[in-house]
Parts: sequence; C-alpha cells; structure tokens
Amino acid sequence: MDHTEILFRWNGLTVAGKSGDTVASALYRSGVRTFTHSYQHGRPRGLLCLAGSCPNCMVNVDGVPNVRSCTMPARSGLTVLSQNQNVYRGLDSPAVKRFPAAPALSESQHHYEHAYLQFDAVVVGGGQHGLEAALASASRGMQVALLEKEPALGGYVRSTRSGTVSIQALMEEVLAHPLVTTFVNCSCFGLYEGNLLGAVQVDFGQPNAERLLHLRAGSVIVATGVYETQFLFANNDLPGVMLSTAVLRLLHQHAIVPGKRAVLIGDAERCGELQADLESAGLEVVASVPISSVVSARGEGHVSGLVTITVIYKADLVVMCGPLVPDVDLLAQAGSRLRWNEGSGAFLAEGLPSTVSLVGAARGDGVINQEYLPPNSAQSKDAIACLCMDVSGHDVVQTIEAGMGHIELIKRYTKLGKSACQGRMCQMAAVCLSSHASRQTIAQVGTTVARPPAPPVTLGALAGMRHHPVRRTPMHEQHDRLGAVWMDMGEWKRPRYYDADGTGNQGRCVEQEYRAVRERAGVIDVSTLGKIEVKGRDAGRLLDKVFTHKFSTLPIGRVRYSVLCDELGTILDDGTISRMDEQHYFLTTTTGNVDFVHQWLEWWVAAAGWKVTIVNLTAGLASMNLAGPLARGVLEKLTDCDLSSAAFPYMDWRRASVAAVPATMMRIGFVGETGWEIVVAAEYGIHLWNQVLQAGSSVNLLPFGVESQRVLRLEKKHIIVGVDTDGLSNPYEAGMAWVAKLDKADFIGKVALARIRQNPLERMLVGFELEGSVVPPDGSPVLFEGSPVGWATSVRFSWEREKVIGMAWVTPAEAKQGTRVVLRSEAVDYAANIVEEVFYDPTGQRLRA
Amino acid sequence: MSFLLKCPNCGERSVYEFRFGGEVRQRPAPEAEYEAWITYALYKRNVAGVQWEWWYHRGGCGEWFKASRNTMTNEVHQTLLPQDEEQLG
Repeated sequence: MDHTEILFRWNGLTVAGKSGDTVASALYRSGVRTFTHSYQHGRPRGLLCLAGSCPNCMVNVDGVPNVRSCTMPARSGLTVLSQNQNVYRGLDSPAVKRFPAAPALSESQHHYEHAYLQFDAVVVGGGQHGLEAALASASRGMQVALLEKEPALGGYVRSTRSGTVSIQALMEEVLAHPLVTTFVNCSCFGLYEGNLLGAVQVDFGQPNAERLLHLRAGSVIVATGVYETQFLFANNDLPGVMLSTAVLRLLHQHAIVPGKRAVLIGDAERCGELQADLESAGLEVVASVPISSVVSARGEGHVSGLVTITVIYKADLVVMCGPLVPDVDLLAQAGSRLRWNEGSGAFLAEGLPSTVSLVGAARGDGVINQEYLPPNSAQSKDAIACLCMDVSGHDVVQTIEAGMGHIELIKRYTKLGKSACQGRMCQMAAVCLSSHASRQTIAQVGTTVARPPAPPVTLGALAGMRHHPVRRTPMHEQHDRLGAVWMDMGEWKRPRYYDADGTGNQGRCVEQEYRAVRERAGVIDVSTLGKIEVKGRDAGRLLDKVFTHKFSTLPIGRVRYSVLCDELGTILDDGTISRMDEQHYFLTTTTGNVDFVHQWLEWWVAAAGWKVTIVNLTAGLASMNLAGPLARGVLEKLTDCDLSSAAFPYMDWRRASVAAVPATMMRIGFVGETGWEIVVAAEYGIHLWNQVLQAGSSVNLLPFGVESQRVLRLEKKHIIVGVDTDGLSNPYEAGMAWVAKLDKADFIGKVALARIRQNPLERMLVGFELEGSVVPPDGSPVLFEGSPVGWATSVRFSWEREKVIGMAWVTPAEAKQGTRVVLRSEAVDYAANIVEEVFYDPTGQRLRA
Repeated sequence: MSFLLKCPNCGERSVYEFRFGGEVRQRPAPEAEYEAWITYALYKRNVAGVQWEWWYHRGGCGEWFKASRNTMTNEVHQTLLPQDEEQLG
C-alpha cells in the first residue's frame, strides 16, 4: 500500500489518512469511534456496515450534508464535520426532543451533468456473476455497460483475505473487452419503463462532481448480490458493534485491525470463517454465539462487552454475521413481487419482465440465513430496529399491539424504513418483529412497497447543469450598445428600456421613449414575436377554422388582427394575419406562444387531413416596428414605396426594398400611432436597425423598449394575451365582442361563444384612472364598497392623461363609466374611477393618418 | 414515465421527445346538440386500458400521429399517421 499521507480536517482537528483510505477508514484508523449521533435521541453511533448501506457514518463534507464517509475517498483539504451535534441529550422523552440544527446550506462548488446512453445490455453489479454476465453478452456481439457502485470491480471478494486473485483473469478480460464499458463509483438507483436505468456516477476527484446516467438498455441483468443486515438486541447500536462486512473491509481493504477482543454473533459456519480471518490478523476471538442467546451489548459510548443468557463476555468488538438480504431493490421498484423463500430465509424477486434477468446471490443463490428468526421479544424490546429514526423493537411491538400491524402501517406510524438507509438495516427486523408479534408467517407479513430512487440521489445530480437557454434577437448587440436594460421574456432577452445616458433612471428613460413615439418617432425590436407561414391549398380553410375571423375572403395585400380560441371560447393567443397570396398567409403570434400556435395549427391540419404547410419562421426573420407622427418621413428616406395612406392604408402590407434590402412592411399599430412593422431576413436585421436609427436622427427618433410600449398600448387598451387575459378569458368579457364572427359557418369555439353571448357576463375587462399619482403593482385586487370585485391586470402612469391608468377585471355591475372602486396593495387603498373610453385617440385617427 | 414511442417517421424514441395531445375524439358537427359540444369540450373518457391518442414529435420531425396505448401499462401497440389510418379504412 502506498503510504502517501492525506491530511484533512475533522471537527476542527487534522486527521491523516493513507492512499486508498475512505474518510471513514482514515477516521477509524486515527481513533475516531463515534462518527455521528442518532437523529432522534442523540445516541452515539459508529461504523456499522462500511458498505454504503447504513446511516451510521454520515458526515458533512465541505458543506454537503449526509455524505456516507465509508464510500467517500479521503482527499487532502477536505473539511469533515460530524452531524447531529445539537440533539438534546439526556432525557429520552419526545417532549424535549429538538430537531438538530443542521449546518447552513451553502452554494458549494459543484459539477453536475447528465449523460444519455444506450446499450444492448446493462449489467448492474461488478462482482463475479456480473462480470460473467457482461462477458457472456459481449461475446454475443452486444454492447454492454457494467455498473459497479464501488471504486473497483470484484464485488465481495475484494474484502476477503485472498482478495480478487480468484477472479483476476475474468476482471482483466472484461476490462479489455472492446464491447464492455465499465462504470465504477456508479450506483444504479432506478429501473423504469422501457428498460431505462437511472444511475449516478461520482467523480471523487473533485468536490460534488456527479454524472446522472440515463441508460436505455435492450436487456438488464441484475447482479447486485446481497447486503448484510443487523440483529436485534439491547444496545445493538453501540459503537464497536459492527456487521461482518465492516470488519472484513477494515481488515482487507484498509489493513486496520478493528479491535483486540471480539465476540462474534451468528451461525457457526460464517462465524468460523470470520474467526480464522480475525485470528490471523492478531485479534483474539473470545466467543462465537448464536443470536438466540444474546441479551445485550454493554458499554458507555463504546462497546465493552456482550451479555448472553449465560455469560458476560468482555470485548471491544462485537461482530454480527447478520442475515444476508438479496439486493433486489431495483426489481422491486420495477414491479417485481418479492416472495419469502423459507429455504434461503430471504425475500426473492419473481415475475420479472422478459428483458430483465437476475443472477448470482441477488437471485438467492447460496443465500442460507439459518438463524433468521428474531430473538424473543424480551431481547429485541430494547434493540434499535431503525437506526435512522431511533425506532426501538418496543416501538414496533407497541405499534402492532395498537392495531397497526400491517407492515405499511408500521412504516408510516413509526417512520421505520423512511430515512437514509431506506429500510436496508430495518426492514427485515420489522418484518420479523411483526411476524412474531402478530403470529403470522413472514410470507404473510410481506414487505413494504419499494420505490425509486434507492440509494438516495442528490438533488443537484437530478437538476443537472441547470442550463438556461437564452434567445437573442439579431439586433441584440445593437441594443446593448444603446444601453439596453434587459428583461427576460420566456427564453428571449428584450430591452426593457434604454438607459442611454447611464443614469439608471427608468422613469425618465421610459418617458423620453414614450414622448418620442407620441411626438416624433420611435422604433422597437419585435423580432421575438412569433412568425408563422401558412401555405397550401387549404390554408384559408385552416385559418377560417382556427381563428375567430374569416380569412378565406381576406383580400391579398390586407392584414387583419384576430384571436385564437379553444372550444370553450377562451382566448389562447392573438396576432395579425396577412394574406400574401391566394394560398399563402403570414401570421404573427405573441412572443411566448409561437410553439403552441404552431403545434395547434399542425394538429388541426393533421386531424382534418388538409393540404397545408406550416413553417415557424421566427428565428429566420428580424422585425421592428417604426411608429410615430414623423415615422413616415423617416421611412421614406429608406424606400421608394409610396407610403401615403391612399397608396398604403392602415392594415395593408407591401413588399418593397427598404434600405436596399428586401422587406415586408405591415401597417399596423399596437402603440396607437402611424407605424410600420418591417420584416426582413434575420441577416439584415442589424443593417436595417442602424439605417432606421440613422434616418431618424434628424427628427430625434429613439429606440424604445418593452416598458414604454406597455404604456403606449395601455393608453389604447390593446390587450396583451396572458397579461390582461387569463386561462378563462373570452372575447366578450375582454371587450372584444367584435372579433367573434358568429355568422361564420364554423370555427373553434363558435358554439361556446354563441352561448356566452346569450348569457350575462360574469366579469368584464375595463379601464380605470387612479385619483392619486402612486402606481400600485399589477395584480392588485379591486374593491367596490369594501368587497372584492376583481383585480387590476396592468397599471402604469400615462403621460397622455397625466394620471395613473390601467385595466382591471371587475364584475359587470361595476363596469360602468365613473364607478368609484379601490385598488388595494399592501394594506394601502388607491381610489380609482372606471373609464369606458379608450384613453388615447379613441377614434383611431392617428393610426390611420 | 419513460416508455418508448415509435414515431412513424423517426422510429422508436424516448417519450420525452413527444408531446401528448389527448384522446382521439370526433369533433361534433357545428349543428350538433349543445350537450354533445359540452361532452366534447369538457369530458374525457379517461380509459383504463387501450385507447387511441394524439402524440406530437416535438423533439423530432414535428409530426402529429396517433398511437394506441394501454394507459395502465404504457404499452404502445401501434402508431400511425392520420393519412395512413384513412387508407386502412
């Protein structure tokens, strides 16, 4: 063994370890016996299984809680803290129990990633049977993944005296086989439908580096072997009482002799083998006793002896050759039934899916638990059955006597099996106690339902790298240079406003942008709006069906605003539809809804079997809206197209060369001024944007952002779907009755809208003006005479009205001009009056100018 | 849920690539009884067993297709394009 020193911190002290040490083995070597205290009663706990199964060695490593120190390799520079230091100790009464103060969680250094892999066969478990299975599959030409939770292949023989000598050739053959991919430090935590295996591979070379593997397997071979579980007797949780797995690992993997005088508990055969092992390491084995004769362990803080029915042994180590449990967690989670097998004294899996097989000890091969019967209840009463939750044998028996004898009820009532070890140390104990107390057979008691993940998985590994996709418009860099203050809109980045002089005064910036649009000209990047092309023989038919308006009769060259409803008449989205040609339309959608609208249209086409091609062009196009009383003069500098209202009226579109690039211009007006939405190929976006700014410089044109646009459109009472509407809003309530063309033969939502029109409305979207000048937040409740009648969807200061204005949902009785209502926010009331009229240019003259 | 679904264009793929589109149902004629519309708009059959469903290959070819799936076991028996179904009759 390499004797390089590893130095790390343990509760403020420096501990030295050797190469190959785990944190647990290094601590044990340096004399640490108490690793943690139990969660409920603060009982001292030491190493028990050393195999990643029990909760006894969990520590906090570099700020990460609940790390099993027995699987965590020791590394220089680690800061390791014991857990549960603050549990109230001394009075064993639930009334004074306190939850331990866990160390504050911190954003520690981490690297979590996901990998998606496919294999013909996945073998779980790198012991002898797993190795053989992997080789057998690979020799038939299959691509094989071999998953091993330990840092090396070999399975249990790694902790025997002769080590992996007997399977060395097999291991080398597997490692050299080109078709076998081996994953070590890799725990498989779930087997899901379609043979999807979830596994976490840990890279112990760096802090918190874990890779979540999504393994899709043609076939799954489970070779997970067995794990050892504890016996029940008083003080069975004292440090120094260990499972044989722990003792063997300390001896053969870490060259640590774990004591001087040992007593072994278990059947004669396994105790005999272990005795030979321990004696050759220089340990004195005082006695080997069957579990049926054991009464209690004794000792203060550490075991000092074992009391049997007849003798009191002095010992500093008590080793349990505990019952071996076939590790079939994966199969149980996947729906296999577990059936008690009397011959092996274990629950074995049956009813496997055809593509899943089980080999080796996990199948029960060679598992014979001769002494599985629980000790009599007098002995087990004071035993700790569940180490994680401090559930004693007494607690379990009481639960059964109280009528909750079903194994699932015992689990839920006592919390036994619900914590870190996931029942590995306690399930069999509970089953045996239940069998004993309720006089049922073990087969009748059965097991609790197993669910993934087992073993536990860190949330970080599940979350992965937390990629947040970001979409930027073609003009993103231009906005940045102009001082854009960004906001997120779904995946998109949009300028909220431009902080041109760097003062960060949002109110003043937005006002300047607002005034530019109302008094001169402004331009806004609207590339984020969805853009969809609909082409084909049935294009008009499709749009007639999905939109509330008729489009088959829309003249070529015209643009129309419309809404999409569902069959309940609820507004799903809105946008403009331009007829480009006989069988060709161009749609815009709201920013966040383009994928939905695209799929919605595709679905109706698929369902009807129509001939329509639908293409989402959003990413391929750049678009900007140039608006304001002087906008025409700006645009005239860039195009030869006749922009006069006579030649290019409101709600028309034209194709023309703008700034020497091919463009489509639509005369629409979300902000309420004369304006054009100019659409060009994404590659021309920067060019056109710069040309517009340059052409507008003589009239002091300003780029404007989403915030000023929201004020501008609010003055026009133009709704934003999803802001002013919700998942129940219909056009009648939203004050847009004109969009519902009920004279049309059929459209999605027509039947519902016809019914809605006949019945009284439940609520209405109305405008209001505040009496004061403070702007309450969007979403504030609206009250009438002290009773809630709705809420405000958008509230902004209007420079046009020189008042705070907004839109709100209210009950129809209040939706009348001049009704006095109150907006309430943070216990402050804001008096408001309902305004039926549009706040700005109600006749739309400026739009058409 | 991690079963595999056979896209008629792309073949067998993880269900995470797809969007579920609900039960395949017949939209009533515009002149149908109001009750029929209510049933169509608000009620699902919610079969415990095999049903035909719409699926959309969002992470792939962008095709809407129909799948016959056992809702109890997630076993997918058949998938087909709507136009192929018409040919089948």
